[in-house]
Amino acid sequence: MTELQDTGLRRRADDAAPSITDLIDEETVQSIAQEAWSALVGEDEFLVPLPGDLPEDAVSSWVDVRGPWNGTVVITTGRSTAEQLSRELLKEHAPPVLDEEDIEDGLGELANVVGGNVKAVLPGPSALGLPVVGDAPVAGPDTCRVDLLWRGQSLTISVQGTAGALLDQ
Amino acid sequence: MRALVIDDSRVMRRIVSGILEDLGYEVQQAGHGREGLDVMDGGWVPDLACVDWNMPVMDGLQFVSAVRSNPAWRQLTIMMVTSESEHGQIVRALAAGAHEYMIKPFTADAFRDKLALLGMLPQEAVL
Ligand SMILES: [Mg+2]
Repeated sequence: MTELQDTGLRRRADDAAPSITDLIDEETVQSIAQEAWSALVGEDEFLVPLPGDLPEDAVSSWVDVRGPWNGTVVITTGRSTAEQLSRELLKEHAPPVLDEEDIEDGLGELANVVGGNVKAVLPGPSALGLPVVGDAPVAGPDTCRVDLLWRGQSLTISVQGTAGALLDQ
Repeated sequence: MRALVIDDSRVMRRIVSGILEDLGYEVQQAGHGREGLDVMDGGWVPDLACVDWNMPVMDGLQFVSAVRSNPAWRQLTIMMVTSESEHGQIVRALAAGAHEYMIKPFTADAFRDKLALLGMLPQEAVL
């Protein structure tokens, strides 16, 4: 008979869901984001781990993760930062004027890329939702958040668990 | 050579299409798997399909399975281009009939390297 290995991830039914800060740390979230920025935004584009003030018109994009860990990966930044990001993603393929769909699509795809790579670090298998853009979902206490500056502009990335907030399943 | 780029992100479609067009590919785009199949059903059969995983209507895995169930499309080379980087997902996509797997984020250089591995760099790009 094969002995079952204890991976530490098997939990009894009455165990609480794992807290996100036990599963991922801020450095990992930042390095995943930095990799996305270097590859997609530009080789010399750096995310500096410093807090800044988000403007009034901040916009968020997010993807849900459903699996052994349930929650949401959210990117929030000012609207003009989101526009610059979309322009940099498209580079020479950017139209002279970016429309709202381009801006939301660019920010949404960044959430998809960062979220997909965050998901790969968490216990799996899990499913990734489609990106959504709008007002950020409210973060509960079970959140791993990094405050960053890109070109001096504020941007936050948070990995927020549904545990401790509203359990929807 | 022809390439079909299937991704629900318009920005990502433009990025991937741009790399392929720079290499000399003739490119068409689709916003999800069903749209991709419609393009091919309409008679525009590509040599290469670059397919995202997470899309509405028909996802990338369903697209790969649909293509592989049609012997007329046996010659199509399929590369998944996706942020789905769990090992199990990669195995599933390859088992369904994808040839290669490109994890987002990627650089244009890394993308071209994958195409070279697949033998899918057009002649004019190799020279
Ligand atoms: Mg997608």
